[in-house]
Amino acid sequence: MIRTAIVRGLLFGAVGLHLAVVGVLLMLHQRWIIIDTISLGQAVLVLLAIGAGVMAAPTNAPEAPPARLLFGLIAGAAASLPLAALMVAMDLVRLQAVFIALSHDLFEMLSFDLGDFLGVLALIGGGAVGGLAGAVLQHTPPGIRRAVIAGAAAVVVAGVFQELIQLMLQFEGLIGDIRDFFYTWEGLSPQGAAVVFAITAIVSQVRSAASRRNQAALTDQQRQRQRMIRALLCLAGLAVLPALAGSYIGQVLMLVGLFILMGMCLNLDVGLAGLLDLGFVAFFAVGAYATALLTADNPHALLHLSYWAAMPIAVLLSICMGVIFGIPVLGVRGDYLAVATMGLGEIVRVIVLSDFASPLLGGAQGLLQIPKPALGGFTLGSPVSLFYLTLVASGVAAFVAWRLENSRLGRAWMALRDDEDVAQALGINLIRSKLMAYGLGAAFAGLAGSIFAVMLGSVYPSSFQLLISINVLALIIVGGMGSLPGVALGSIALIGLPELLREFGEYRYLFYGAVLIIMMRLRPEGLWPSEARRRELHGSDESLALDAGSDLLPAQRT
Amino acid sequence: MALLEIDDIHVFYDNIQALKGISLDVEANRIVTLVGGNGAGKSTTLRAISGLLHPRQGAIRYDGRPLAGLGAHDIAAMGLVHVPEGRRIFGRLTVDENLLMGAFTRRDRKAIAEDKERMMTLFPRLRERLRQVAGTLSGGEQQMVATARAMMARPRLLLMDEPSMGLAPMVVEQVFETIQAINAQGVTILLVEQNALMALTIADQGYVLESGEIVLSGPGRDLIDDERVRQAYLG
Repeated sequence: MIRTAIVRGLLFGAVGLHLAVVGVLLMLHQRWIIIDTISLGQAVLVLLAIGAGVMAAPTNAPEAPPARLLFGLIAGAAASLPLAALMVAMDLVRLQAVFIALSHDLFEMLSFDLGDFLGVLALIGGGAVGGLAGAVLQHTPPGIRRAVIAGAAAVVVAGVFQELIQLMLQFEGLIGDIRDFFYTWEGLSPQGAAVVFAITAIVSQVRSAASRRNQAALTDQQRQRQRMIRALLCLAGLAVLPALAGSYIGQVLMLVGLFILMGMCLNLDVGLAGLLDLGFVAFFAVGAYATALLTADNPHALLHLSYWAAMPIAVLLSICMGVIFGIPVLGVRGDYLAVATMGLGEIVRVIVLSDFASPLLGGAQGLLQIPKPALGGFTLGSPVSLFYLTLVASGVAAFVAWRLENSRLGRAWMALRDDEDVAQALGINLIRSKLMAYGLGAAFAGLAGSIFAVMLGSVYPSSFQLLISINVLALIIVGGMGSLPGVALGSIALIGLPELLREFGEYRYLFYGAVLIIMMRLRPEGLWPSEARRRELHGSDESLALDAGSDLLPAQRT
Repeated sequence: MALLEIDDIHVFYDNIQALKGISLDVEANRIVTLVGGNGAGKSTTLRAISGLLHPRQGAIRYDGRPLAGLGAHDIAAMGLVHVPEGRRIFGRLTVDENLLMGAFTRRDRKAIAEDKERMMTLFPRLRERLRQVAGTLSGGEQQMVATARAMMARPRLLLMDEPSMGLAPMVVEQVFETIQAINAQGVTILLVEQNALMALTIADQGYVLESGEIVLSGPGRDLIDDERVRQAYLG
């Protein structure tokens, strides 16, 4: 169908147009993937054309394969049409007065420096080639396709993170020579890109062949063990990396670790107990302020305890806050709970800022000079050492969460989540279970806050915005609700990546929104879902097959 | 003395009176049924007994003990278990986990495992479905889960709310057979039903509820023959 091919192509083109108008495209163009060859912005355009080609040439189309390739070509060309139209418009009118992103630089990028006429042709031609490539890719055997995609992805990663990788390879001698082969000062060299592509493609080919041979022979239990080993390896990598990578990565990872910790405790509340708590940041604030008041070298401080004495007190205070917050919202369910807790969360920040509390808590100026924790004679001053502190804390939180999942309390939470009335009628104490959930969630949030305070060395009310709660919630949704490795993955994706790609910071929440929408459409269970979530979302197809003819009326979902 | 004695209870939803002075007795080891039309107050009565609602006036005594002031979970722990209307199973837990939730108040692991085995014999279908997420079961199977889950608490008195609702006629018959089988094991049953004929057929004692008041009572068989009941509910 030529019409669908054109429509799909135009759809992808509209995405490209949008990215160009808001300025994302030009910003991405600043970063080379392969030096002087292709930039990240150009890669996005190519990807859009390929995507259009893939969508326009499905393998189950009624037409013969050559016709499908033609569709891919057409869709790719169509995908570049909106941008070509934009170029023509930019040539005729000065659009920059309205959209500041539509600058001459953008025009040069889109026209490949070939001038107006040739530039438009080149753009459409390039799109057509991309679309054709997509259609071809769609019709290559899956093994080869996977290898090509893996190779291309590796090149993009190696290119985008060149600064970071080069930073890690700052050695003289052999490593230095290797580095110089792959990278010039500003980006991946063409020969380096070719080697990265080839190696990754071959490795992925070999691995998929090996795993296909093994997978058939594996039992469920072995597969589960394999997954566990993989998770442990990831964790070990996470643990060793900062020590090698220096303080910039250490700083990023420290933040990632902190959000992992918070993600784990919100996971208890939301994933297990079904309590959508958006006031979460309040406990984080209580932990941070308690630590500051108990340890800091400033006139507001109440005591000058060591960090290790102050932390348990901060955690305890957070638990109390959690329970106090929990009582008024005991009878509130679902969305209403989210709104109520959101309000409670804001109250803490407003109180800290108020005239009443500012003599005690420093108001908007915050509390400064919080000393770094010391362990024996060693001060945990560097980001890397603080990262390890968050890692240990996350480990404790993960252990608690893992034990809870299969405990009486964990099961009581899950039952309350599914149906409060029935759970009570079966003997579950609603009040106690819910307050335990709030208290425990608050405990770990307080711990995270306490670490946060020593991390920055100071606390300000502006650090405790609603946005923190939302970030944490978003990372457990993206990672996979109720899944511990998912939290780590979500935290790396949503907290770590934006930190590493600082220059894109302006568009951070645009990407955030896009990622969330795409995830909800394509993979609602998250990147690394827990077994139970996978069952919930994908179990129904298989059970329906089992169920055929068992009973005349299907279940009523209530 | 009856196992459950309800003495003139009045229940309100905000300002609307749902029960206007209900009194009834449930003798031990019997099947007692509460029939009546939509909105007569049948489910409200059960919710009041199990502590999910609190009567504004009147008393409920279970095994001679007044239930006023006790939470739903305390009442459940006394062996008075409610199977709510609409097969409210824990849809996101497996059948196995659902059954274990039924035994939440018990700590005798070995006996729990034995009881689970007994439920498998009572409902062979559940054995095949043990690892399946309960929300994906068929309606009849979900009713089985709800009933088996309540039985896992080793109840002395089982409150069943519309167990036949929305089920195919053949499955309904199975449900009523199961109720009788459970009763034969020594569990007292208070059954709320819209399917008045079936309920009165198996019940030792029946009560007819209308707009929050009991208008008739007597042995199940007698009520079936009663002219007023025939006209109102049996057609």
